[in-house]
Amino acid sequence: MLRIQNVSKTYPNGTQALKNVSFDVKDGEFLVVIGLSGSGKSTLLRCINRLIDPTEGQIFLDDVDITAAPPAKLRQIRRKIGMVFQQFNLVKRSSVMTNVLSGRLGYVNPWTSLIGLWSADEKKRAIEALGRVGIADKAGARADALSGGQQQRVGIARALMQEPNLILADEPVASLDPVLSHSILQYLEQLNKEGITVICSLHFLDLVHRYATRVVALKDGIKVFEGSAQEIDRARFKEIYGEEAQEVRAASV
Amino acid sequence: MKTSRLFRNALITTLVIAAFVVSYNVTDADFGKLFRNLPNGQKLITDFLTPDVVTRDVETRTVSIAFPVPCDSAPAEADLPDNGPRLVPSVNCANPLEKFTLEGFDLEPDSEVVIRWKLPDERTMTAIRTNTDAEGYFTFEVEARPIIASANGVASRLEVDTLTPVGKFKPSPTLKEVLDAMFVTIFMALLSTTIATFIAAPLSFLAASNITRRGLIGSAVYYLMRFIFNVLRAYDPLSMALLFAFWLTFGPFPGAMALTVVTIASLGKLFSEAVENIDPGPVEALQATGASPIHVVRYGVLPQVVPDFISYIVYHWDINVRISTIIGFVGGGGIGYLLNLYINDFKWNQAGTAIWAIVIVVWAMDFLSAEVRKRLT
Ligand SMILES: Nc1ncnc2c1ncn2[C@@H]1O[C@H](COP(=O)(O)OP(=O)(O)OP(=O)(O)O)[C@@H](O)[C@H]1O
Ligand SMILES: [Mg+2]
Repeated sequence: MLRIQNVSKTYPNGTQALKNVSFDVKDGEFLVVIGLSGSGKSTLLRCINRLIDPTEGQIFLDDVDITAAPPAKLRQIRRKIGMVFQQFNLVKRSSVMTNVLSGRLGYVNPWTSLIGLWSADEKKRAIEALGRVGIADKAGARADALSGGQQQRVGIARALMQEPNLILADEPVASLDPVLSHSILQYLEQLNKEGITVICSLHFLDLVHRYATRVVALKDGIKVFEGSAQEIDRARFKEIYGEEAQEVRAASV
Repeated sequence: MKTSRLFRNALITTLVIAAFVVSYNVTDADFGKLFRNLPNGQKLITDFLTPDVVTRDVETRTVSIAFPVPCDSAPAEADLPDNGPRLVPSVNCANPLEKFTLEGFDLEPDSEVVIRWKLPDERTMTAIRTNTDAEGYFTFEVEARPIIASANGVASRLEVDTLTPVGKFKPSPTLKEVLDAMFVTIFMALLSTTIATFIAAPLSFLAASNITRRGLIGSAVYYLMRFIFNVLRAYDPLSMALLFAFWLTFGPFPGAMALTVVTIASLGKLFSEAVENIDPGPVEALQATGASPIHVVRYGVLPQVVPDFISYIVYHWDINVRISTIIGFVGGGGIGYLLNLYINDFKWNQAGTAIWAIVIVVWAMDFLSAEVRKRLT
């Protein structure tokens, strides 16, 4: 469904975050992107929905060139790509309900939503989305009154409102404890089983083994590995994480 | 190296002293005056401390006697009563320029006394004002001036009014005048703050780098807005008010307009900084959903900045009440203008009332804006 073709990204300050990265993502995959901090995982995910414009290369979603889409077309494409963030990125002062509803902005009447009016249908859809992540009772709460794990579930509910074909999750569990991490990833796994393709960046290898159907590894902006989690042996690991990472691996796998 | 530093320090010291001497001379500094003029100040301060805020109804009672000048020009008061409210002159007639003592007995106690002559042709001439004591007694030396001479056998009469405050205290006319003017000032400030908010709020987004500064046109708009805000902010409200006064003539309206312009610039800057300080995360998240830019602002930016905006608005209203007081002083209407009138007429009690009103309102606004800001964070 997604084809990433020779993508490079150089930031204005000269940092080369991605170097000629290419790979394909098939429908229904749970693709995990791994790599050290600063290896370019966020940059890669953001290039896919063009929160960042790649400097070179192309990205095709179902044969539509995302990288060449003009603004209106881009919004239409983004509508079908949900995104979940490490820092949740909720509007903290708004209610959970408003945060979830705002995932629907690409679909609804632009005028009524501008003055904050939402149809009963949309509200019902929002409650359903919250129900799927188990926090329908929190709809009226302010977003910042929720715990981290709950906020991330609101983030997933917001993405669900987009009726996405693809969800990009940039280290969705990096700010959460291990138990919560599993619960959040299980929601993503569930959605994946229902047919939504997931591209997710992760830090911990045990999580990668548990959830990934396929893995892409980045090092200094270069794709150094593509394959199943099982293929990541000692040598591969050293290649991705460097010599000093040995100890950490023992602890985390 | 050492000598050059010594030289530099000596130079700086000399310059500082020179600057001090110059400023001492141009401001005509005379600190002794502060003490020499203390008696003047005392009267002023007493008046300011007893502002004119309440009055009571006054009951007037009049007693009078005939008093021929010169003697024999007309019949004197026949028989003076020896009880009840009464006037007792030391002589029952007098020749011109003679002085005599006038006493009053059993009048209204603790009242203001107005002693006057009622001439045969019905004209009256106030001689003096004094007060009765707790027993209703007063005494005063009166001069029989030639003008009060009898005419055609009719004597002038000595009339004494006692003015006694009765009934409840009620707001004085000055207080009403001051409150009306205060009302004008507060609403002049509110009007200009409101108009300025409606103009500054949308413009502030254009002057926020995280919203506007994209591409060539965006950058141009951003720098233009910044430039406009900065230029407008460079004018102080007072000169702006004078500018508008020449255009729109004096009164509250040009004052409010001047205040509006200054407030647009100031709020525009504060607002745009609030917009620049938002958490960019939610904005990105909304962009990622495919929302249009205006919806990103509505759902991602607005909720983050509205509390800040409100606290800046209240804060600026507070500031504008102070500024409009000063603008009023130069003819902009409201309490400042009234205060200026009182001062020009040497009505120190009334000026005291106006100043107290300003102090109380400024304090209240300050308190209110602090409370609002506390609640919003
Ligand atoms: N906006 C930016 N401007 C300049 N350089 C950036 C910017 N964002 C990221 N970089 C640089 O690009 C490189 C890749 O960053 P990126 O955030 O994609 O890495 P990451 O793999 O997501 O790291 P982490 O695990 O810490 O999130 C890093 O060297 C980073 O410093
Ligand atoms: Mg990252």
